[in-house]
Amino acid sequence: MSLAEPTTDAATEPRLAEQPRRRPGAFGRLLRSELRLVLGRRRAIVLLTGLALVPLLLGLVLFVTRDTALAGQGPGFIAQVTGNGLFLVVAALFLCMPFLLPLCIGIASGDAVAGEASTGTLRYLLVVPVGRSRLLLVKAIGALAFAAAAVAAIAVVGLVAGAALFGVQDITLLSGTTVPVGESVLRVLAVAAYVGLSMTGLVAVGLFFSTLTEVPVGAMAATVCVAIVSAVLDQLPQLSAIHPGLLTHHWLDFAELLRLQPDWAVLGQGLAIQLAWVAVFSSLAWARFTTADVSS
Amino acid sequence: MTVAPSRDEAAGVHPAALAAPADVADASVWAVRTEGLTKRFRSGQVAVDGIDLAVPRGAVYGFLGPNGSGKTTTIRMLLGLVQPTSGVAWLLGRRMPESAATVLPRVGALVEGPAFQPYLTGRANLARLEAADATADPRTARGRAEAALERVGLAAAAAKPYRQYSLGMKQRLGLAAALLRPRDLLVLDEPTNGLDPQGTREVRHLVRELAAAGTTVLVSSHLLTEIEQVCSHVGIMSRGRLLVQGERESLVAREAVRVRLLTRPADVAAATAVLRRLGLHDVVDEPAGAEGAPVTATVGDHDPAAVVAALVAEGVAVLGFGVERPSLEQMFVELTGEGFDVAR
Amino acid sequence: MTEKTRPLSARAARRARWAVPTVVGVVVAGAFVGPALVANADSDLPDLTPEQLLDKVAAAGPTALSGTAVYTARLGLPEIPLGDIAGADPVNLLGGSSTLRVWTDGTERSRVALLGATSEYSVVTDGPEAWTYSSDDEEVVHYTLSKADRARFDAMQEHARGDGATGTSGMAGVHGGDLPTPQEAGREALARAEQDATITVEAPTTVAGRPAYQVVVDPTSTTTLVDRIVVAVDARTWTPLRVQAWSTTDADAPALEMGFTDVSFASPPDSVLSFTSPPGASTRDVVVPMPSARDMAQARPDHLEGGLPDGVSVTGTGWDSVVELSDVDVAALVQGDPAQVAQGFRKTFGSRGAQELYEKWVPAEGEGPVPDLDTAALYDSLTTPVDGGRVLRSALLSVLVLDDGRVLVGAVPVDVLQDLAR
Repeated sequence: MSLAEPTTDAATEPRLAEQPRRRPGAFGRLLRSELRLVLGRRRAIVLLTGLALVPLLLGLVLFVTRDTALAGQGPGFIAQVTGNGLFLVVAALFLCMPFLLPLCIGIASGDAVAGEASTGTLRYLLVVPVGRSRLLLVKAIGALAFAAAAVAAIAVVGLVAGAALFGVQDITLLSGTTVPVGESVLRVLAVAAYVGLSMTGLVAVGLFFSTLTEVPVGAMAATVCVAIVSAVLDQLPQLSAIHPGLLTHHWLDFAELLRLQPDWAVLGQGLAIQLAWVAVFSSLAWARFTTADVSS
Repeated sequence: MTVAPSRDEAAGVHPAALAAPADVADASVWAVRTEGLTKRFRSGQVAVDGIDLAVPRGAVYGFLGPNGSGKTTTIRMLLGLVQPTSGVAWLLGRRMPESAATVLPRVGALVEGPAFQPYLTGRANLARLEAADATADPRTARGRAEAALERVGLAAAAAKPYRQYSLGMKQRLGLAAALLRPRDLLVLDEPTNGLDPQGTREVRHLVRELAAAGTTVLVSSHLLTEIEQVCSHVGIMSRGRLLVQGERESLVAREAVRVRLLTRPADVAAATAVLRRLGLHDVVDEPAGAEGAPVTATVGDHDPAAVVAALVAEGVAVLGFGVERPSLEQMFVELTGEGFDVAR
Repeated sequence: MTEKTRPLSARAARRARWAVPTVVGVVVAGAFVGPALVANADSDLPDLTPEQLLDKVAAAGPTALSGTAVYTARLGLPEIPLGDIAGADPVNLLGGSSTLRVWTDGTERSRVALLGATSEYSVVTDGPEAWTYSSDDEEVVHYTLSKADRARFDAMQEHARGDGATGTSGMAGVHGGDLPTPQEAGREALARAEQDATITVEAPTTVAGRPAYQVVVDPTSTTTLVDRIVVAVDARTWTPLRVQAWSTTDADAPALEMGFTDVSFASPPDSVLSFTSPPGASTRDVVVPMPSARDMAQARPDHLEGGLPDGVSVTGTGWDSVVELSDVDVAALVQGDPAQVAQGFRKTFGSRGAQELYEKWVPAEGEGPVPDLDTAALYDSLTTPVDGGRVLRSALLSVLVLDDGRVLVGAVPVDVLQDLAR
């Protein structure tokens, strides 16, 4: 059976003279709608509020105990918070980094596609139609937006609470040098930015898992597991050869921004590793999502 | 010929409309065509087995079959959600899934029940689908959404979150989504699921209305009787195969239509004689009951009205007279040797 | 073309999509592994004799530089409970890898920082003054000379300037809580290289992306645990970029390795080389006695026999030197106040390797390197009991602690120490 030239289709269609055409700004409309959904849903608000409470509670605890025997204890930057509210941002990010932040981001990115699949809305989006690559891109941006919001929630609340409780002074870097307030704020914001960018690899991993299943909880758990397993492997000296490539290995390199002369190569390396994870897992997610049968 | 010849002959079908498809991709003739469409899942299970679907433009095509017979998988393949293992599908003259971007805006679909974001209102859910449609005019979006809600009778509940909807309201919202913009083809998978008899009637009315306006409707159901009446065409699926399809009228063999006369027991012999003389076959007198003695016969090409006139003229007491068409369900039982809805 | 062949090609196209992540994976792997493979490209450096090379290093003298160095110790020590030590602490230099950042103006001003994941231990030296700062406990230790010593130091500086010498660093400056750096360790190794060792030049290599000559110092002694010392010298500035100490017990990897991973030879800014105690930090002042002119002369190995402190004697020469300390109160040492014990005998050893390691091991004046550790437990886990005492074995150094209060230290196998002790 021979196929008619596709061009003849349009000519023979009687009442279908108007072919649907993409309208300008279509992607923007879809993206806005997605962002409103991702950031506006109750779960997102609960998670972001929870993260925002970390610096608030930490600040309050340190404020209450600052003149007691309990003061000055704790790992990392916590001891410095009482002297300078700016460190509340750093200390809160430091506390959230190993588990809370990956957990929240795993939930958001693991849910991105699998959540739509489980509610069945995925099939309706696809028959609207939304191209699968376009939908995946929108989902990725949505998950990244949540990650950014998560870090921003910690940073902004940390900054406000820190300033209110302890004031903002020049900060003393890890190297023992003191830098003026303006630069201090910039450095702390750069720390938050680096932490946010460090989460992009995990978002890509979550997105990939999200395309594998219709069970969002599975994708979320798998994503969080990747972060945890990566952190565990990072502790095994026998595997030092692969450490530099691990997803979480460079997460704490944000400390570089608190040294006298930040080594941009170190930060660049950390971001390059994230980029590598993003490239590999987003291409996997794309290959999977654009070829998979949607049977949910 | 779109179904296995043996089946056609067995059913006595003469689907004249399907006899010579000049061009399967001709959108002026066919709204939906498939050739050898097959889906074998990774488990090895063959969900759809080489079906040749033919839905003419303007038809209301009842896509019937029990649960699990492959209807939904077929619809998913038509809409580009599932990749066929082999075979080809055309929607409105365009290959699917390659042409999804240009074809699907003209297709409204309800696939395997409605599904929406539970925490968004009905209106917000429609707005989301509207925003996702790259070809829709955003300026008219609100008006079209309200019109669609009005049309399915959901305007009053539009501000309620979807999760508070009853099953029927969910189904209506699904229909509203399919009707967000004028469509050339509606694919409605089990649209009456969860609806009460009143809702079911409304859906039938809606389908008739849309068909009258020129929209082709492909409506699937496992509840044959609910849909049967609105369909101009019918295709019957069983175990992944399309057993038979064609115009509904032509599917039901004329020979199968019988007349049923109710008369007095004393008149049975006379009635039998008259019917035989008129040339009706298979005249059977059944045991008399309280209401009278029934006599049935295959009516063939005869006009039932003339049969009644002849009976009255011969002095047979006509206590009751009726024409009995076999339902599709009966036909299905004949075709497959099993009941229609296995799951029920 | 027939209709039914098309879905097959469509499926092939879908399968082809998986080629994209495959290609991305290969590209990513290539981007990270590739540079490591091509990094060892041979440079075409002119051949130099060992003597020429040593002359060039000596003539070049210390230069201004800043860079990142990695220090790796594979001393074969028993498992140290380092897990208790979070952050940047010099005790981490005993095992594993540490990253150091080095800035120096080539004279008496320098900053060396030992990096922890989220902490830093800095040593800033500025002529007659030095500071250490630990970000973990926000503690500053300020090392200064006494007034008299300071005057003497200034006079020497003046004198040195008059002579046109490049500086007095390493001789008269203050050393407190010192951290090792590749260029200093390498320079020191080469300065002593010609004693009791044969020197050869190996194939050039690349260190920190720069072509470098490799000098191999091979001890003539067959007793010592030190198999060879390999120093990589930058081919343009003649600055040592990497030092490796190989043990006779491990032919696969150097027991100690310290090298730049990144270096630049620009003068560091003043802000890096100066130090002001941050507000809120606790500051401790330590006055360091400046060595007398006689001491300084004695610090040279060829003058070693001159005047050793009481209770210290040296047996053997060169690489085989064993230092014997008597009347050491090990119990006090392990009970966490090592400063007092160490005060008396922290001096120069004949063997450079022995000295280097000993300095790591025995605390510097005024501060133990293991402030927060249960030193008794550490001592127990590091040493093993032998007849008449306990012994610490490592790839480069052995320490024999006898119950009678004698301690023998040398870059020789344990049985050599035991033989000496009898």
